[in-house]
Amino acid sequence: MRFGEQTATPEQAIMSAAVGLARALREFGLQASVDAEHTYLRALAEIDTRNETQMFWAGHAAFVHSPDELEVYKTIFERFWEGRPLIHVEGGSEHGESDARMQGSHHGGEALPQYGGEANAAAPLDGERQRAAEDIPTAEGEQGTSNQEQGVLAAWSSEEQLRQREDMEYKQDELLALRMLAEEIKRQSPARRSRRAKPSPSGRRFEVRETVRASMATDGEAFRLGFSGPTLRPRRLLFLCDVSGSMERYSRVLLASLKAAVGAARRAEAFVFATDLTRLTKTLDGRDLEMALDKARAAVPDWSGGTRIGHALSEFNTTYGRRGFARGAIVLVVSDGWDRGDPKILETEVRRLQLQSRRLVWINPRPMSVDQQPLAIGMRAALPYIDDFVPGHDPRAVAGLAQLIGGLAADRPMRKAVPDPPPLY
Amino acid sequence: MPGYDSIHQLADALTNERYLVDEGLATVVFLALKLRKPLLLEGEPGVGKTELAKALASATGAPLIRLQCYEGIDVHHALYDWDYPRQLLQLRAGGSAALYSEEFLLRRPLLEALAQPNAVLLIDELDRADDEFEAFLLEFLSDFQVTIPEIGVIKAQEPPIVIITSNRTRDLHDALKRRCLYHWIDHPDLQREVAIARARLPHVGQQLADHVCAFVHDLRWLDLYRSPGVGETLDWVQAFHALGHYEIDAKTASSTLGTLLKERDDLERIRGGNLDALIAQSATRAQELRQGGNYR
Repeated sequence: MRFGEQTATPEQAIMSAAVGLARALREFGLQASVDAEHTYLRALAEIDTRNETQMFWAGHAAFVHSPDELEVYKTIFERFWEGRPLIHVEGGSEHGESDARMQGSHHGGEALPQYGGEANAAAPLDGERQRAAEDIPTAEGEQGTSNQEQGVLAAWSSEEQLRQREDMEYKQDELLALRMLAEEIKRQSPARRSRRAKPSPSGRRFEVRETVRASMATDGEAFRLGFSGPTLRPRRLLFLCDVSGSMERYSRVLLASLKAAVGAARRAEAFVFATDLTRLTKTLDGRDLEMALDKARAAVPDWSGGTRIGHALSEFNTTYGRRGFARGAIVLVVSDGWDRGDPKILETEVRRLQLQSRRLVWINPRPMSVDQQPLAIGMRAALPYIDDFVPGHDPRAVAGLAQLIGGLAADRPMRKAVPDPPPLY
Repeated sequence: MPGYDSIHQLADALTNERYLVDEGLATVVFLALKLRKPLLLEGEPGVGKTELAKALASATGAPLIRLQCYEGIDVHHALYDWDYPRQLLQLRAGGSAALYSEEFLLRRPLLEALAQPNAVLLIDELDRADDEFEAFLLEFLSDFQVTIPEIGVIKAQEPPIVIITSNRTRDLHDALKRRCLYHWIDHPDLQREVAIARARLPHVGQQLADHVCAFVHDLRWLDLYRSPGVGETLDWVQAFHALGHYEIDAKTASSTLGTLLKERDDLERIRGGNLDALIAQSATRAQELRQGGNYR
């Protein structure tokens, strides 16, 4: 049946409007399935359809599945309630047309209005961009005292460091090692013991249930004892990757590696950061590498921006970390530790991250020792709280990663009791 | 079970149970009752996700059946099990009763919820269970029936009201979300939080409740590592009440702050910072609130 505008009884008008709402939400990436549509229509029969609040929350209950989707829903609903066009389609009316799903180009996201990603979408991934330091204004409000900022910036702009930076050759090895990263993870994905047991003749745990059940067949005599053993399940792998200006030459390979790792490990999560944090797990979870990379680049608003590692980690700790993303996980931070934020914040946040994680591994792809890096104040601040430091430019070191994290080997490492850092505020 | 004709009637019934809902939540609960669909609740810890199920159960006079999820939970913990020791005895004693019959069936929460008409079933912290258990729940949630191989299909006469909570430690599967109504419970606004405190702790003075709620409300804007939930607000009100205070003073606040904030860095920050200024600010706001002024 079609909901044409001529045949509109009030009920049909509401129905067709509701279907239009669902269609618009789908266009904007919400999971407004046919089920959800059905739920909403049933809900409309129960509530006062003239009451905006009730209409809003009924639609919310049916179509929204995560707090992240609230803003999109709010916007669309507002248009819906005010009777404005929901989707901007050239030369077409809202309802009674052929199914919106036919307009293929609207799917896949690229033709849709982007939320703040457009300007960056065009930025080249490997291209020659201006130095990151120039993109970022100096003083950044709430974090750090200005003295420390100046100290860091002074180091950054010193002639010598610049020359050193330019002198650094593009070594094939660095990238090779990063490429290996995904292979290593694929080869030996980390596992942990699950609380779920399964029957196993060689298991250690005696199972009363299995034993008694088996003895039913033998008139209540327990001839065969039942045992169960532990099962393994993939341990969560959490990547936190630096894609700031100083990491630019690595980021493309890094992302490709991330994509492979997210595809390979059943429970991998990928985040990237420069000044802010962006979650990329869903973005990278596709088949096509190029498309995934393009999408990822568009999704990260501060690609090749300046670095505030502490700030980004703090963002992780207070949002995803609180929800338990790092609990029991192997956390791999890939960064050169060139940080423009307050090292104290970095220190606090890395410590927090370590306390949550099973094992905190820091991979630094920059082929220099930590002491040589004037800007790696951040790196030095973080070092006491890192379980394993892996020089990422060294293929042998990366190959050693599998031993660190693979299989059940990822024991909780011995951690020295590090004194609490001085209070922040 | 009493049916509710309108959203307001439902909201009033929950208010009588000292659970205050805003119109959004009331609408969704009303729909969950009417459409008999499971309700998936998410939100920060301490916003009253679990409490809602309790309040709903006592408002409707229905039994509350609770299933706490954890990793490795399986059919034998959630649905049913056989009483093997009794079966064994029966077998040894040469009894004639069928071994796999209702007589030897142990009902676990899900089966219990099907057996009792109109029960309120709370599936708490589903994100802690593993994928396998989530998949197992799908049949239960869409048809309100389960299959026990030895007995057959058991279907609810009156489907239970199902409330699922999740703390989002992992994303639940889309297939499960599709079967549910979804609601995100936010921290209440100041007036509502005061109302909640008054309803939950009627023996506590208005002035103290106002002051504490205003203080907590300010704290939530401070971008703490772990913001206090309503549960913690109530604890703090009770702490002051137990110590015989009618308003917040810096000394007591400092020594009882652990009731409210559970993170060392947050405690340091508030204690070492401008606690006095915060208290003064919230006192003013509480006064405005009492005079019915603009409290935002």
